[in-house]
Amino acid sequence: MADLLSISSIRERIFNPTKHEKSVARSSNPFAQTSFKGNVLTADVFVSENDKAKESQANKISFTGKLKASALVGSISGFGNKIQAGIESVVAFANRIKDNVVNCWNKLNNTEITFEPAKEAILRAGAKAGDAIHSMFDSGISSKQIAKMEDLSVPRQLFMDNVQAWEAALAS
Amino acid sequence: MVDKKVIKNVRNIIDGLAMHQNPESVNVLEDIGTNSKVDEIREMTAKALVKKNMPESLKVVITNKGKGINDMSTSVAMSTINELLSLEDKAEAIRILEDTVENNSDEEVRDNARSIKALMALS
Repeated sequence: MADLLSISSIRERIFNPTKHEKSVARSSNPFAQTSFKGNVLTADVFVSENDKAKESQANKISFTGKLKASALVGSISGFGNKIQAGIESVVAFANRIKDNVVNCWNKLNNTEITFEPAKEAILRAGAKAGDAIHSMFDSGISSKQIAKMEDLSVPRQLFMDNVQAWEAALAS
Repeated sequence: MVDKKVIKNVRNIIDGLAMHQNPESVNVLEDIGTNSKVDEIREMTAKALVKKNMPESLKVVITNKGKGINDMSTSVAMSTINELLSLEDKAEAIRILEDTVENNSDEEVRDNARSIKALMALS
């Protein structure tokens, strides 16, 4: 603010030299009484190089003071909050994905396969296998054949089918 | 009327499983034969299990309520008992009967086992 005042006063003094004649004597400018193209420099318009350096330093950010240091810490902690918020958002995202996966799994568990061609194909394959087993024993099943079978799934199937046929015949 | 072919098939399958060396054959006979609604099938199955004369097969017809010597059908129970009495080697059957008398939780099963054990001792 003081700088602004001094600049306006300098301008006034440059362009209105007679008005400030009294102040000429107080000026520290060695050229104050020298005329430049008819104008007399009545004020100290030369700014020291040291002052310029101080001013430029003042414009730079330095964290020497306690207030500035605390501002820096605050900004760092604020940055930490941003990181934390980011992490929380990642966690929320992961949880959302997890929930979606769990929901998908639950849906799969509760979903009955109703793809008719697949069901029919499976049933046809099972019926063909059963027919193939029975066609092997069209002439009759002998006990020796059963005793020699290493895979007991065939005797089990034959036994079950014949028992069911017997029970069905008695029930009808 | 039951088809004769079906009856013959069942008989041959049971006999074949009785001769089978795989211990899994006992499970097949127990799962399907001893749980059948038909008395004849249960009877044939119980006799086949006794013929196998294996600890697992003998346990099925001695220790289980409703199967073998404990079957609700008298003909099935008597046929099983006759088969046990007909065994040449009765050692395993007697051991299981003794174990059943001492340790089985069902009183009726224990009583039946005690009676059969007495019969086998006399035979």
